[in-house]
Formats: sequence, C-alpha cells, structure tokens
Amino acid sequence: MLKVSNITKSFESITAVNNISFEVRKGEIFGLLGENGAGKTTTLRMLATMLKPTSGTAELCGYDVINEPEKVRSHIGILFGGETGLYDRLTAAENIAYFGELNDMSKSEIKERISQLTRIFDMDEYINKKAGKFSKGMKQKVAFARSIVHNPDIMLFDEPTSGLDVTAILEVHKFILDCRQQNKTIVLSSHIMSEVEKLCDRIGIIHKGVLVASGTIEELKKTYGKDSLEEVFIELVGDRNEI
Amino acid sequence: MKFRHVWIVFRKEIKDLLRDKKTIISSFLVPMILIPVIFLFVGGGAQKMEKDISENITIALSQNSNTADIRKIVEDGIIKHNTNIKLINVDNPIDAVKQEKVRLVLEFDADYAQKLKNDKPFTVKIYYDKSKNKSDGAVSILTDAINQYNQQIVGQRLTALGLSPDILQPAKVEETNVAEPGKSGNPTLVMILPMMLGLLVTIGGIAAATDIVAGEKERNTFEPLLTTKPSRLSILTGKYLTVTLFSFISVISTGIGYVIGYMINPNSLTMGASDGIGGFSLPLVATILVFITTILMGMTFSAVQIAISTFARSFREAQTYLSFLIFVALIPGYATMFMQPGDVQTYMYAVPILNTISAFKMVLGGNINYLNLVIALATSVIYVILSIMFAASLFKKEKVLFRS
Ligand SMILES: Nc1ncnc2c1ncn2[C@@H]1O[C@H](COP(=O)(O)OP(=O)(O)O)[C@@H](O)[C@H]1O
Ligand SMILES: [Mg+2]
Repeated sequence: MLKVSNITKSFESITAVNNISFEVRKGEIFGLLGENGAGKTTTLRMLATMLKPTSGTAELCGYDVINEPEKVRSHIGILFGGETGLYDRLTAAENIAYFGELNDMSKSEIKERISQLTRIFDMDEYINKKAGKFSKGMKQKVAFARSIVHNPDIMLFDEPTSGLDVTAILEVHKFILDCRQQNKTIVLSSHIMSEVEKLCDRIGIIHKGVLVASGTIEELKKTYGKDSLEEVFIELVGDRNEI
Repeated sequence: MKFRHVWIVFRKEIKDLLRDKKTIISSFLVPMILIPVIFLFVGGGAQKMEKDISENITIALSQNSNTADIRKIVEDGIIKHNTNIKLINVDNPIDAVKQEKVRLVLEFDADYAQKLKNDKPFTVKIYYDKSKNKSDGAVSILTDAINQYNQQIVGQRLTALGLSPDILQPAKVEETNVAEPGKSGNPTLVMILPMMLGLLVTIGGIAAATDIVAGEKERNTFEPLLTTKPSRLSILTGKYLTVTLFSFISVISTGIGYVIGYMINPNSLTMGASDGIGGFSLPLVATILVFITTILMGMTFSAVQIAISTFARSFREAQTYLSFLIFVALIPGYATMFMQPGDVQTYMYAVPILNTISAFKMVLGGNINYLNLVIALATSVIYVILSIMFAASLFKKEKVLFRS
C-alpha cells in the first residue's frame, strides 16, 4: 500500500533524511519514532509530495510520488501537528467542502459526506458557523473531518498531538484508531514513546535522518534484548550519539 | 494546471476575502468614500481661497492720506468699477492690515495734488502683509485698478491736448484658439489622474495578497492545501487571479468615488484649479490601449505582490514588504506629476509603472503618438510575463515555501 524505497532528502548543508526504506500494509499503523530534528516531518512531507526527494522514491497506492504527485495527493489525507489551521471566515462546512472540491468530489458527494461527518464528529451545533470563534476542540474535529472528506486510503499524521491537552490527545488517538478501523493505511510520526506503543502496529526508529531499526515492538525488544521500547530507543539513539 | 482547480481556489479566496472587513474597507470603501472626500475638501478649499482673495477686498488710507480729496479719487477713480473693493475707515491702518481688518493700505504722496495738476507722476504706496494670503492677493487686484485709473487720466490728458487716446495703442491683440474642440486636454487631470491610478492599482491588491499566501501560511492551512489534488500552479493561479481582481476592484471603486465627487461638485476632480472636466473627449482606440496597459500593470503588480507574500516569513513581514511597494509606485507617479504629455521622453514608455503613467498622460493630453502607446503596451506585456514567472518560480521553491 505504501512503499518507501531508499528515500533521501538533502537541504544545502544537511541530509535531513538519509536513504530510508520501509513498507506499510493496508489497515496498519506505522510509527516513525524519533527525536526533534530526526527527519520525521521531512519524510512525511516527501510522502505528501510537498517536498521532492533528492534521491530514492516512494509509492502510495501504487502511484509514484515523483512521477504522479497529483494521483498520490488525491489518495492521502494529512493531519500535521501544531495549531489546527482553518479558514476563520468560512464555516465548518465550507472549510470541509473546499477540500472536498479540491479533491474533485461532486457537489452532491460533498453534501452527503459532510452530513455523514457531522454525525460522526458530533458537529451539528456549529457546522454552519464560522470557524474563527470555535474552541480548540471544535477546530480539531473540523480538521479531522477535513482530512478525511475525500475518504483517502492513506493517512499521514505528523506529531498530531504536539501541544495539545490530555482530552484533545485522546480525541486524536481515537481518530487514528477509527481510521485503522476503516482499513486505512497510516503513518504516524511521534517523539512520544507511549503514544507509539499504544497505537502502532509496527515502528521505525529514525535518528539523524537514518532509519536505525524497524519492526513490531516485540520484535525490537527481542532483537535488542530489552524489556521496553524506551530502553531499545535509548540503546539505539544513545549509541549513535556517542559515536 | 487545471482550470477547474483554478476556479475552485479563486472562488473560495473571493468568498473568504469578501468576508474580511479589513479587505472590504481598503479595497472598496476607502477609494469610494475617501477619494471624493479628499478631493472635495482640497478642491473646495482651493476654490474658496480663490473666492476669498477676489471678493470683499477692504482697503484703507494711511492716516496722512485720509483726506476727503483722496477718498474721492479712490472711490470715484480707482475702485468705482471694482465693486469687490471697499474703502473703509480704520483707526490704525497698519495694525489693521496685520490684524486682517483690511487687506491693504494706500498712501498717496503728500504733494500728489500738485503733481497731478502739473502732469507729473505721484506715488501711491501700498502697505500689505505678505504673510497673509488675502493681503498678498489683493495687491495685484489693486495694481490693476490703479492702472485702469491711470489710463483714464491719460485719456483725459490726451483729449485735453486734442489727441485721440488711440495713438497709445498702435497694435491690438486678439486671441483665437485653433485647437480642435476637446483636444486641448486638461492639465490638472493630466497631473492627478495617472498618479492616482498608478497608486491605486498597486494598493488595491495588497490586502488580498498578504492574506492569501503569507496569511495562509501563518494560519497553518497552507500545508493541507498543498496536499490536495490540484497542482501548485493551479493553486497559485487561483490566488493570483484573486489579487488581480482586487486590484481592479479598487480602481473601479476609485472610479465610482470620482463620479460621486463629480456629482457633488464638478470642480472637485481638478481640485478647483481648472474649469472642471467638461469639453474634452478621448479617442476610442487610444483609450482602449491605455486601459489594457493599466490592466497589465495591475497584473504585474499582483504577481509581484503574490511573490512577496510567498517570500515573507510571516504575515507581518509580508505587510511590511508590501507597504514598501506603495512607495515604489508613488515615486514615478510623483516624479512625473507635473510633467505634461509633451515632456514625456520616449524611454519612459518602456519603464515599468512609468510606461502606464506616461501613456495615460498622453491620452488625457489628446495628442496621441501610437508608436509610444504600442511601446508602453508591449513592454507591459513583457513585465507581466516576467513577474508571473518570478512568482511561479518562488511558489515552486521548497526553500521559500517551507521556511519559518
Ligand atoms: N526547509 C528546510 N531547509 C533546511 N533545513 C531543513 C528544512 N526542513 C527541515 N530541515 C532540517 O532537516 C532536519 C530534519 O528536520 P525535520 O524533518 O523537521 O525533523 P523532525 O520533524 O523529526 O523534528 C533538521 O535538522 C531541520 O533543521
Ligand atoms: Mg517535525
């Protein structure tokens, strides 16, 4: 479903992502675990076709990020961390509809989808109100709805819980698990061990742009002879730091 | 690039911007209301000043000259045919000038009567206050009145000698304007309109341009937008057309503002300095060409604005950069403000901004040189293409798009 092959991204002086390869199967959550500056956002931006790989490539739903970026984009939904961005002067429905239109949905499809999403995320009260005055929680739900309006097969989450309070974090976790429920292919980047442990089927540990290990958590623990993911992480990342 | 996507982006941006009070105010209301208000205010002021200077001119005689005989000369000889001038009595004439109770004070030579009788010149001194507009302006009016009085006396003297006053005027002057009706243009409009237009085409798109890229980046909606299906070029084009539309809307709003101003007071458009805009017509083809040139200038500026907004790291930064752009548009406008169409050099028809202003001046002036007009048009097309290419290249640069 999602196949990354030797992808590399260099900015002028640094190699932000260095020859990374991994695969994610349908209905699976793959966690990219790494510290700040490890290269998580850069990797996800390349998958979302926002950045062009310096070398290597990736295939999403059978489409190549370099040669068929439009096709790739119409099959992905993204939720990137930080402050949720909405168009404040548009209503919740208009915000969602815009992304539906941009992804080539018809008017009737959009209408139907919005009423469905309104039910799912319980947005009845404010679906036709302008987003500018929404609480953080309301905005978050609109952002969820927007990211899946076109029913993408692949979801990319880049540190989606950064800066959120506990309830909001739980909402995000629930949303991610719901996406898996719907058999979507998911890549989740995070620097939070517990989050990755809770949600991911398989993880890859990324450090200074290099994918230093990958597998299920059990596999990783076994390979490195440790009792917890935390210890595995320290082992791998700490080791590298000493070199 | 898909037209469908461009249209979706364009429609959304328009809807979004029309709900923004800031944009509405700066693009619609300011030109529509502020411009006629400024013009009426300044124009009305200028007209009032002219009127104030030429009407209700009060004068007085100095203490020494304030005799019945002199009063008679002044009232019956000098100001008789100038009903706007009045001779009044004041206690302290010089102070009265300073306090603006009278515009000026006349003082006759003490022995004026003797001199007058002996056909010798006598002096009339005018005391006035140069720091006061009204006083200053009255001097020439009084000088004219005294000249009329002189001619009258000369006539009397010649007649007494048995000569006709005509011997003093061997040649008479008669003026006939041979310019075709409507071809003389309007110097004041030629000064003001092109500058205003250049400025407004620039300012009109700024609010939209700031909001549409730098604003979108700052609100964190840019990344989700870029991961939707449309190509970057489609998104850019939709946004670009929005900015272009807004810069034209403000030009149109200004036009409406002018019409409103004209309806309230026809003279306000020329700031009261000339006789309104009546009586001149614009040649159709040239007008269309200059209109297209103006549109092209708007398109160039819109692209530059989008580029700047893309380049800026934040909304604030975009605002700062874009306000500099106003000066860029102002400088050529101001520099050529007092230039009349005949003063415009050929190279000016090829310089950005200046080419539009020059072409506009030429058409308003009425003397059309189509070669120059075509130069202005062709160079404008080149600038549009260059500016769009520049904006597009920035919009594709990862380094610019994803920096913070
Ligand atoms: N647009 C860019 N230009 C230059 N360097 C960048 C750019 N984006 C990211 N980097 C650098 O690449 C490295 C990886 O960054 P990033 O992918 O954001 O890491 P993470 O998301 O894991 O924190 C960092 O050193 C960062 O400074
Ligand atoms: Mg990151």
